[in-house]
Amino acid sequence: MASIRELRSRIKSVGSIRQITRAMEMVATTKLRRFQERAVASRPYSQEVTGMVTRLAGMLGEDVGDRPLFQKGAGSRTLILLVTSDRGLCGAYNSNVFRVLETWLKEHPGREVDYYVYGRKGYQYLTRRGREVERFLVEPPLEQTDYRAAARAARLCSEAFLTGKYSDVVVLYTAFESVVRYVPKVVPFLPIEAGTMQGEGGGKTGGDLILEPDASTIFDRLVPRYLETRIYNALLESLTSEYASRRVSMKNATDAAKTMQNALKRVYNRKRQENITKELLDIVGGSEALR
Amino acid sequence: MAGSLTLRVITPARIAFDQTVESVRVPGADGDLGILPRHANMVAALDTGLMRYRVGGKEQVLYVSGGFCEVRDSTVRVVTEAGERPDEIDEERARSAERRARERLSQGRVQEGEPLDILRAEASLRRALMRLRAREFRSE
Repeated sequence: MASIRELRSRIKSVGSIRQITRAMEMVATTKLRRFQERAVASRPYSQEVTGMVTRLAGMLGEDVGDRPLFQKGAGSRTLILLVTSDRGLCGAYNSNVFRVLETWLKEHPGREVDYYVYGRKGYQYLTRRGREVERFLVEPPLEQTDYRAAARAARLCSEAFLTGKYSDVVVLYTAFESVVRYVPKVVPFLPIEAGTMQGEGGGKTGGDLILEPDASTIFDRLVPRYLETRIYNALLESLTSEYASRRVSMKNATDAAKTMQNALKRVYNRKRQENITKELLDIVGGSEALR
Repeated sequence: MAGSLTLRVITPARIAFDQTVESVRVPGADGDLGILPRHANMVAALDTGLMRYRVGGKEQVLYVSGGFCEVRDSTVRVVTEAGERPDEIDEERARSAERRARERLSQGRVQEGEPLDILRAEASLRRALMRLRAREFRSE
C-alpha cells in the first residue's frame, strides 16, 4: 500500500505530465491549423495546373501516351515513396501507415521494392526489419517542407523512374479527410495514366486556342509541375493528419492524466483522514488512560 | 475602354495577385507577350522574368519564376512557383543566391561538372538577377 508521501509525489508527477500533454495538445492544434491553411492555399495552384494538364492532354490526344512518363517503366521493381513523421507521440498515425504498407506488400507478392522515405519513424521501421532504405529524405526536415522541397522529391522520383529500373512509382501517404478522419493511402504516381487525365474535361476548350510556343512544349513543361503539386499535396496532407492525430492523442493523454489525478487524490484524502482519525483516537485513548 | 482584364497570379503558397488591369505583358518562353482585353484564348509557357501590367495608366512590375499563363474569359491566369511584387522581394536572399550560383558556375566550368548542375546553377542565377531587377522598381 502506497504511503501518504508516495501518493503526494505521484499526484504531483501526474499533474506535471498533464501540463506537458496539454501544452503539446495546444501546439498541435496551432500547427494543425497552419498546415491546413497551407493545404487550402495551395489548392488553386494545383487545380490550375491539373486543369491545364488535362486540357492539353485532351488536345494532344494519342501522342500523350508515347511520352516516357506515361509509359510503364522497363524495370520490374517498384519505388515506394513513404511519408511518415519525424516524431512520435502522435497515436497510431505511423503504425497505420505501416499497416497499409504491409497489406500492399502482401497484395503484391514477389514484387521487389525500393523505398524513398520521408520521416524518421519510417526509416526506423524499415531498417529495423532489415529492409534497405534507398533514400532517406531529410533535407529540409518534413515540418519545414515547402513547395521547392516537394518539387525536389518529385524530381528525384521522376529521375529514378526514367532510369528504367522501375516499372512504377507509388506514394504512400496519409490522406486528410477531416480533423477526425485520416486514411493512409497508396496512390500510383508514375507512370501517369493518360486515361484518367482525358476523362475530365478533355476536349472542352478545343476550338481556337493560341499556344505559345506549341502544345507539346508546354505540355512537357507542365507535366513536372503537375507531379510536383501531387507530392506537395501528399506531404501537406500527411503533415496535417500527423498533427490532427497528435492533437487527439495528446488530448486523450491529458484526460487520462486528469482521471488518474482525481483517483489518486481520492485515495490520498481518504488516507489522510484515516491518519487523522487514528491520531485522534490515540490522543483520546491516552487522555482516558491518564484519568 | 473595351472590356476589362482580370489578372490573377497563382502560386503554391497563395494567390499573389488578383486585380483588374488594363493590359499585361508576360515574359513568354520565346519573348514577351502583350495581352489586352478581349484577347483570344491562349496558353503560354513563361520564362523567369518580369511581368508588367498597367493599372490606371501606370505600369507596374511583378517578378515571376517561369510557369504558365492562361488567357480565358478575359482573365489572365499566371500559374507560377513564385510571384512577387518589388517590395516583397528579399534583396539579401537574392544577392546570396546570386553569389552561390556564380560560385557553382565558376567551379563547374573548371571541373566540367555535370551539365545538369550547370543548368540548375544558371537557372538559379537568372532567378536571382531577375529578382534584383524587379527590386529596382520598388520605390515608385
